[in-house]
Amino acid sequence: MTLLQQRDNKAFTYLYENYSGALYGIINQIIPDKESANDVLQEVFLNIWKKIETYDTSKGRLFTWILNIARNAAIDKIRSKSWQNDLKNQSLPDDVNTLKNQSVKMDTDNMGFKKVLGKLKEEQRTLIELSYFQGYTHEEIAKGMSIPLGTVKTRIRSALLQLRTMIEQQ
Amino acid sequence: MNIKEYISSGIVESYVLGLASEEEKAEFEQLCTRYPELVAARNSFELSLEKEAFENASEPPGSVKQGFLDFINRQSVSSQQSNSTSIEKNMAQKSSPVRWLAAASVLLLVVSGYLAYKFYNESVNLRSELQNTKDAQAQLDSRLKTLEDQQRVIKDPKVSVVNLTGLPKAPASSASVYWDSTSSNVWLLVKNLPQLPSDKQFQLWALIDGKPKDLGLFDPQGEEKVILKMNNTQKADAFAITIEKRGNTAGPDLEQLQALGKTKL
Repeated sequence: MTLLQQRDNKAFTYLYENYSGALYGIINQIIPDKESANDVLQEVFLNIWKKIETYDTSKGRLFTWILNIARNAAIDKIRSKSWQNDLKNQSLPDDVNTLKNQSVKMDTDNMGFKKVLGKLKEEQRTLIELSYFQGYTHEEIAKGMSIPLGTVKTRIRSALLQLRTMIEQQ
Repeated sequence: MNIKEYISSGIVESYVLGLASEEEKAEFEQLCTRYPELVAARNSFELSLEKEAFENASEPPGSVKQGFLDFINRQSVSSQQSNSTSIEKNMAQKSSPVRWLAAASVLLLVVSGYLAYKFYNESVNLRSELQNTKDAQAQLDSRLKTLEDQQRVIKDPKVSVVNLTGLPKAPASSASVYWDSTSSNVWLLVKNLPQLPSDKQFQLWALIDGKPKDLGLFDPQGEEKVILKMNNTQKADAFAITIEKRGNTAGPDLEQLQALGKTKL
């Protein structure tokens, strides 16, 4: 850890070799397009390099911290203008309701969480898809699906609990 | 706080996956400092998540790795460069008192400019306020002088009062003539006279042996009842007010007699 925070080249090389595959797997689940996923992965490592001092061991494992950087970077990417422009011709649905249908399609990706997601009830799957993989806030989801905010929160949490059980049973 | 319930509420997963709100995060981190079992639950989920992620890892293209390694190499080279350029930095630091002075003088200039502008505005305001006060003072002085003059006339034992009362033509009309028979001075206090068109004026007459003597033209007074200095007359059997053409030089238009008052003499 100290070596990382001193920006030791070898430590960062090790970090990359150790974590890039796992992160790439996650990023790919959010961004299926390989080219963009590559950009995001590179950005993630640059961010780790820049922000390593802010990592606080008492708040969680290093991988968790990095995973959240990766998820945020990937969501920023799919929310960015250039990304939206690239997808214009593919008529990407831009409201939460229509995204529901998209999430069902993406379940065929048989990798990582998405594989586990397939075992959830459709409603729970949708909630996880929107909140975790698309980065919508609980408030946005509540509004878009016309469900009370408290209900969204409870359902997401119970979906997460099931997800956890499934992951641990594998 | 029932920590077991809290742990099984899904907050642990929510926190680790970055789905918790800022408030929830703060609360979670706070509770972690007090409940080791919460930290254990978090750790256990983090490990399963990590295991899951590693099982589903996919190899990114080598170009990404090369890009990142190039970046960190450049960064470490430039940090070495920044060490070797410390001599230049020192030189820059030497000139810093001069920069300081320059910055301070610019600041001083800006501040003094602002103050000058502010004080100039203030002095303009004060000057105009002073002028207003002077004008008001002059007005009060002249009003006070008028009132003093009136008082002097009214209180003078040599001055007699002749009350002019309204005639059938203008029954509401009323005025008083203050007449000093020793000095022949005549003052008129209008109590009530009608408004006139702008081409008409009132005229005060003294009647001596049945003949009118012009004591002067005057305009209708407003709300303020001022005492007017009229022409002198040594004799008068009566005083009368008529309405005349503005600047009248002819005799009185007795048709237009407004008020009349006989002297005691």
